[in-house]
Amino acid sequence: MSLEKSRDDALDAAGDVDPQAILDLLGDRVLDTEEHLNADIAVVVRPDAVEETLLALRDEAGFDHCSLVTAQEYEDRYESIYHLKQYDDPTNEVSVVVPAAKDDPVSESGNAAYRTCDWHEREAYDLVGIEYENHPDLRRILMPETWQGHPLSMDYDQDRPQVVTLGEHDNPLKDDHRDEDSDTMFLNIGPHHPATHGVLHAKTVLDGETVADVDPDIGYLHRCEEQMAQNGTYRHQIMPYPDRWDYGSAGLLNEYAYARAAEDLADIEVPEYAQVIRTMGAELCRIAAHMLAVGTFALDVYGDFTAIFQYAFRDREVVQNILEDLTGQRMMFNYFRLGGVAWDLPEPREDFFELTRDFLDGLPGKLEEYHDLITSNEIFQLRCVGTGVVEPEVAKSYGATGPVARASGVDYDVRRDDPYGYYDELDWDVVTEDGKDNYARVLCRLQEVEESAKIIEQCVDLLEEWPEEERTIQSNVPRTLKPENDTETYRAVEGAKGELGIYMRADGTDKPGRFKIRSPCYSNLQMLPEMAQGEYIPDLIASLGSLDIILGEVDR
Amino acid sequence: MATQTLPEFIADVTGLGTYGVGGEIVAAIIGAGIVGTIMLTYTGIAGPWAKRKITAAFTDRYAVNRMGPFGLLTIPADAVRLLSKELIIPENVDRPAFDIAPLIVAGSALLGFAVIPMGSLFGINLQIADPEAGLAFVFAVASIATLGLTMAGYASANKFSFMGALRAIAQNIAYEIPLVLTAASVVLFAGSLQMSEIVAAQTLGGGTEPLLAVAGLEIPPWFAFVNPFAFVLFMIANLAEVGRNPFDIPEAPTEIVAGYQTEYSSVYFVLIYLGEFLHIFLGGAIAATVFLGGPAGPILPGFVWFTIKIWGVFLFTQWARSAVPRVRIDQLISIGWKGMLVLSFVNLILTAVLVGVIV
Repeated sequence: MSLEKSRDDALDAAGDVDPQAILDLLGDRVLDTEEHLNADIAVVVRPDAVEETLLALRDEAGFDHCSLVTAQEYEDRYESIYHLKQYDDPTNEVSVVVPAAKDDPVSESGNAAYRTCDWHEREAYDLVGIEYENHPDLRRILMPETWQGHPLSMDYDQDRPQVVTLGEHDNPLKDDHRDEDSDTMFLNIGPHHPATHGVLHAKTVLDGETVADVDPDIGYLHRCEEQMAQNGTYRHQIMPYPDRWDYGSAGLLNEYAYARAAEDLADIEVPEYAQVIRTMGAELCRIAAHMLAVGTFALDVYGDFTAIFQYAFRDREVVQNILEDLTGQRMMFNYFRLGGVAWDLPEPREDFFELTRDFLDGLPGKLEEYHDLITSNEIFQLRCVGTGVVEPEVAKSYGATGPVARASGVDYDVRRDDPYGYYDELDWDVVTEDGKDNYARVLCRLQEVEESAKIIEQCVDLLEEWPEEERTIQSNVPRTLKPENDTETYRAVEGAKGELGIYMRADGTDKPGRFKIRSPCYSNLQMLPEMAQGEYIPDLIASLGSLDIILGEVDR
Repeated sequence: MATQTLPEFIADVTGLGTYGVGGEIVAAIIGAGIVGTIMLTYTGIAGPWAKRKITAAFTDRYAVNRMGPFGLLTIPADAVRLLSKELIIPENVDRPAFDIAPLIVAGSALLGFAVIPMGSLFGINLQIADPEAGLAFVFAVASIATLGLTMAGYASANKFSFMGALRAIAQNIAYEIPLVLTAASVVLFAGSLQMSEIVAAQTLGGGTEPLLAVAGLEIPPWFAFVNPFAFVLFMIANLAEVGRNPFDIPEAPTEIVAGYQTEYSSVYFVLIYLGEFLHIFLGGAIAATVFLGGPAGPILPGFVWFTIKIWGVFLFTQWARSAVPRVRIDQLISIGWKGMLVLSFVNLILTAVLVGVIV
């Protein structure tokens, strides 16, 4: 009760954040305030008061979602930004900015408040070089453990050869642990393993067939996407990169994330017609991505390339054909532009509409088939019901989003809660399941496909009747974009796997000063140990599959 | 009914029989060579070609169709490919065991065919031997495969292999007993362990009454019809025995990479692969002999019927593989010990009571 009350204190009558109440709550921990385009207030707090600040905001102001931790280096200081939101209303945003001294960049860890800080701070340490006090396990995460220097820090010399003697490498073949209390076996699952969906390395400790501990080791697919984006111009050079993050055919959803963030940063309007096309394309991508997720999950549980996997791919193929007609590409679309899309629907428009409608008409029958084959199969239920359980509190603490969170009953969808594009004009529902297990996650994805189909159908109706003279696909955007120096924003969209956000800081040039990607897979994957500990190896594999990670997005 | 076995026939025709025991041994070796060649040919067709075609049909694809008619030339192409690959032997493997294991896996399955009555073709009875304890023999040699899997897994010095081997042992112990018990219920009906007797008890004519006669069609008293419950139990236990979905747990590609065969390559891998398919065919052959009347069937020669039946069982395993999820190891064990074992005992006791009352 008291919690509810104090939480209301931080909000005004309309349910929005009252900046003054936040300042009152935090008291003398606040050094200064800043302006972030997305946040209601950005507070600069003392580096030794991070934990208290975050705990206060979480417990007393209801900021239960730590989306992202961004780290960056300025000429005179280091800085970590904790982007906080509320699961109930993600438009309520507070940024907690923590400066750290240039010569000794140390600040307190936020782990006690949000468990998701664990990996995010490790990444900040790894790439930028800020050290976090009280962090439980401050190791490198994306770079190899022996890497010298911090690649995104200013004094990093990329020409300096990385000389590492063999002896310094962590021996991947650890000894098995045997003593009176326990008798465990260490097993490397991955980086090359049939079920890791890419190059994930799960350091697993087994007690018989039971998973005693698992530590996901990521970074094998790190391609410096953030650094590359920082070297590209806003207007044209960044847009192709997002396609490569979640390459599980979710390209347009990723492009949407960059488009939204950049349009917010540079204050660009998007014509309604383009919004509708974007929304339709994004949902087509979501269907393709969910088909892939269901197909590969079935692969993990069924154990082979069985009928389910092939059926899912057959249907995904149709979506890709539609997307190919729309964008000219099957995977790496590069279709969105700042202020709109690259081109209008393909001519003749009727053919495109017919193709899309045929797909939508056939979809219910196909979903029925999936339910027959997968979800109503008793062995499948035996395998999935009650395994890989994620409690809603755990999901929130780890910053889980997307189908993974919704299957745990966390009613959170950026499309509805923080609307963008044309979503708020359309009639659709957010799917939640309360099973919390692997089975619920499959159900959730299959139902989301239905919802996406609803959205696409409405978009097709709209596009069909759109008057010809009003079909503006792009607004007027200057050839060179130079957002004002020190403008900062964090904007997210609902990607295929959850909240896909981008933090950008403009430095007065035509390239971003800092470009940081909030990958939903990164936060979701962090829950794997929580899900798999104490269960059997097959459940570990099923849990990993049901998280539906794409390593390209985890490692970036 | 004392039909001439294949070695006896060979001994007669070639005159080897006149050379005493030595001649009989040579005749037996020739006979074994013929049966082995037949089974290896089936396996050769099944592994690189039929399996792919069947799976493709189930999963809405085309599969091999580039080389030769219906892609049939894939078979020699694959044989050359597999045999010409580099044989990689990891440093720490336990050498003799690592080398012997594939032989045991393939050999044990082949050995089982020694007593299977494969029916007659052009008047030649394709059965190498017909001992009185034929059924016991075939289960005994088929179980040796587990030893091979264990050796393979243990000798590989790989944790995935080791886990596969442990799983194989657990699985085979759990399912061998229901398998043998269900087959034993048939033995109660037939009154003999001799394969030819079991077949004769299911074949029309020669004193065996038809089970039912519907509109002039006589339904033979195959034990699958006499006791469908036992047949279903047997087929399930057989799936586990040959390690196919939903019981492909010792291999479990998505969990433990390839289980006991993770470290095997080239010829050794081919041997293990062959052994697996031979095992499926042996399972099919036992099912055909014990439940489906062996080589019995109308019009076509016995051997053709036998072939149809074992391929039918093979098709069934591939169907299960394409459509059914894999159960978890603990679920497998509990299904085996708590479900299958109890049911097979119930089946055995009921059969014993029935046979006792009727006879």
